[in-house]
Amino acid sequence: MREVTFGQYFPSNSFVHKMNASIKILIVIAYIVAVFSVKQFHFLGFGICLAFVITVTAVAKVPFLKVLKSLKAIIFFIVFSAVLQLFFNKSGTPLWEGGFITDEGLKSAIFVSVKVSLVVLGASILTLTTSPIELADGIEVLLYPLKIVRFPVHEFALIMSIALRFIPTLMEETDRIIKAQKARGADFDSGNLFKRAKALIPVLIPLLVSSFRSADELADAMDARCYAGSKNRTKFKKSVITWRDLIGLIITAGLVVAVVYCNGFYIFPAVFL
Amino acid sequence: MQIIAKNLSFTYGKQTKAVSVKALNNVNLTIEEGDFFGIIGHTGSGKSTFVQHLNGLIRVNGKEGELRVGEFDLADKKCDLKTLRSKVGMVFQYPEYQLFAETVFEDVAFGLKSFNKDISQSEIELRVAEAITTVGLNYQRIKDKSPFELSGGQKRRVAIAGVIVSRPEVLVLDEPAAGLDPVGKREFLNLLKRLHSSFVKTIIIVSHDMNIISEYCNKVAVFNRGEIALVGTPQEVFADQNKIKELGLEFPLTARLKLALKNKGVEVGGDLTVEGFVTALSKLKEEGKL
Amino acid sequence: MALLELKNVCFSYDKQSPVIKDVSFEVQKGEYVAVIGHNGSGKSTIARLINALLKPESGSITVDGFSACDKKSVFEIRKRVGVVFQNPDNQMVASIVEDDVAFGPENLGVPRDEIAKRIDFALDAVGMQDFRKSAPERLSGGQKQRIAIAGVLALAPKIIILDESTAMLDPAGRKDVLRVVKKLNKEQGVTVIAITHYMEEVISADRVIVINDGTIETIGTPKEIFAKAKRLKEIGLELPTASYLANKLIEKGFRLPADVLSDEDLEEALCKL
Repeated sequence: MREVTFGQYFPSNSFVHKMNASIKILIVIAYIVAVFSVKQFHFLGFGICLAFVITVTAVAKVPFLKVLKSLKAIIFFIVFSAVLQLFFNKSGTPLWEGGFITDEGLKSAIFVSVKVSLVVLGASILTLTTSPIELADGIEVLLYPLKIVRFPVHEFALIMSIALRFIPTLMEETDRIIKAQKARGADFDSGNLFKRAKALIPVLIPLLVSSFRSADELADAMDARCYAGSKNRTKFKKSVITWRDLIGLIITAGLVVAVVYCNGFYIFPAVFL
Repeated sequence: MQIIAKNLSFTYGKQTKAVSVKALNNVNLTIEEGDFFGIIGHTGSGKSTFVQHLNGLIRVNGKEGELRVGEFDLADKKCDLKTLRSKVGMVFQYPEYQLFAETVFEDVAFGLKSFNKDISQSEIELRVAEAITTVGLNYQRIKDKSPFELSGGQKRRVAIAGVIVSRPEVLVLDEPAAGLDPVGKREFLNLLKRLHSSFVKTIIIVSHDMNIISEYCNKVAVFNRGEIALVGTPQEVFADQNKIKELGLEFPLTARLKLALKNKGVEVGGDLTVEGFVTALSKLKEEGKL
Repeated sequence: MALLELKNVCFSYDKQSPVIKDVSFEVQKGEYVAVIGHNGSGKSTIARLINALLKPESGSITVDGFSACDKKSVFEIRKRVGVVFQNPDNQMVASIVEDDVAFGPENLGVPRDEIAKRIDFALDAVGMQDFRKSAPERLSGGQKQRIAIAGVLALAPKIIILDESTAMLDPAGRKDVLRVVKKLNKEQGVTVIAITHYMEEVISADRVIVINDGTIETIGTPKEIFAKAKRLKEIGLELPTASYLANKLIEKGFRLPADVLSDEDLEEALCKL
């Protein structure tokens, strides 16, 4: 009855939604590198990145407000780093006679805020257009090369996918236990922090017990269906790359070239900023 | 405590503006003190939503109707939920999954302590012993055990003890017999019957098992798409053959047999309990009407 | 040769208190066998033994010629015996129906084209073709169990064990699951072993095995089993409601057949009075 949603996936049938998740992750990484490589105070580079974000949002048919909302979560971080720059950057000339804020300080405060915001906006387009399951699959494909160093890619991917699968189940279970304990007079909303933490015990213990039971039963069900690790296993789901992904990659390459061009072909140090 | 719902409506997802689902729509229902009340209907018909209103787990939206449970006005934002919940006990499906304490004693005492902060230790012991004995367990033998080492049936009894320890006047149970074997089921329902003649004055059960409903309940309400489709004694409700079929519900065996005999021109009186049916049929036989 | 054969099987979890004591029985190909017993009688343990999730302490279990006691044949056994467990929420590995159905064949290393065919077949057989791309949390309990059956069918098993698979379902869900299983039994010739509490589910079985405290109490047709009302009650079981009511009427001098089992039987018999 109750729709359980997590993450911020915004379902649609757009060009961006239909792209391959692995490619989208790569594009976001390239985009983030581009944002970070914008040379100090070359705001034009940011302009190009912003144009990219706006275009992708429009193509993805995601309301721009939804993308902007993602900034809410890190607003504190943005303000904090801006203030830090504002008050502690002593280079440049003071904005007014004897003032402690310099023109450089102000500039870099704006620069840092814009940089962080752009990164978050780009990443949020990824999570808005890619379901958690697709993301997990995408990450699995990207991790594949790590098999060479014996990284357990398959197990890692399975853990991710089972975790995603059980989030709604556990949320439902939590809801049920909370209701049952409330009915027995449990009070989660009053008292000091210590009291509130203590009030959670009657919820956490049954939840823990039920998670163990779920894990046990799931393990049995997996065994019964012939699970034996990654050995000789086939994979039904194919990671398909289409013309959409190629177009996406080409445009992203264009973005990176444009930013680098703006920087006057200056890329390296800024990446590590 | 009498329970009266007037034009009660409820919509899920209203706060989040997400897809809203109307779970209750203008429900009018009165449950009298002393009723053994059955609530039936398909999954998602609104029965759970309704029942969770009764102890304030789901709050009445002021504009969407009235709900009174005894002297409590549930539409009032200032309603004393704590006292209400001590008077209206609620047992969810698989209640054994709510056990958490180190000992059975502590678990059963949990509700008591939450409802009444100043209660004395001796009073607690008295009441916990009463609750555990009422559900048919041996207090001395079980009180210091971990609830997790008990058998499934015992766990469920301990969970019920943890609810009735506050001596609720109304006890609400959602599918109480789920997961029990046939004999466990019968014993459990008999326990409910026993409770009904003690401090628990009203019992409300939500169940899909029509044979349980016809055997134990004196009144039934049928929920359908958030509305009450039928309400009355089991005889009255299941006599409405077409409606029950239209709702896709099953008949209790006795009701089914009565209908079959009626179609053959034999009217069987009495209620829908097995006992009542057998007696009524025997009488007909003696009168030579069969 | 019988498809499944248990010979003098003993089992305990802790080597001290035996859960299964000297159990022997055979199941023929195409049979529909019900297993009943009170909670804790050991009936679920038998399911786990047959599927090689547990290993017997002594005695032998043979499935289609493979010994469940032989470590090397574990996967041959699990390929042939599928288990559908009780809790619909704790059997699904993936967050999308078709991926979940694919899990078994993937484990066996079945090629991708063949997996696609098997998914088609399995979802068709349980009538869930329309839900291919659905997320499990949007399904009802009965639908989830049908997906669990599909997940087992994708392994092309010879035997399906229902380990109280209907216990957590509402009547509509239970009916759906039973209809699907009966169809598989009749049309595909899949052997079914149904472990259950619901006496109504036992009525239509070919044979019933009654378990009490880890031993076989009796084996027979439903009519034979339910003729022993008194003994059943002693071991924590009951008659189907119709038989119970019929017996009450017979006590009162009604002339009804003594072997009434289903509601339909009783209705018919009463109308003939």
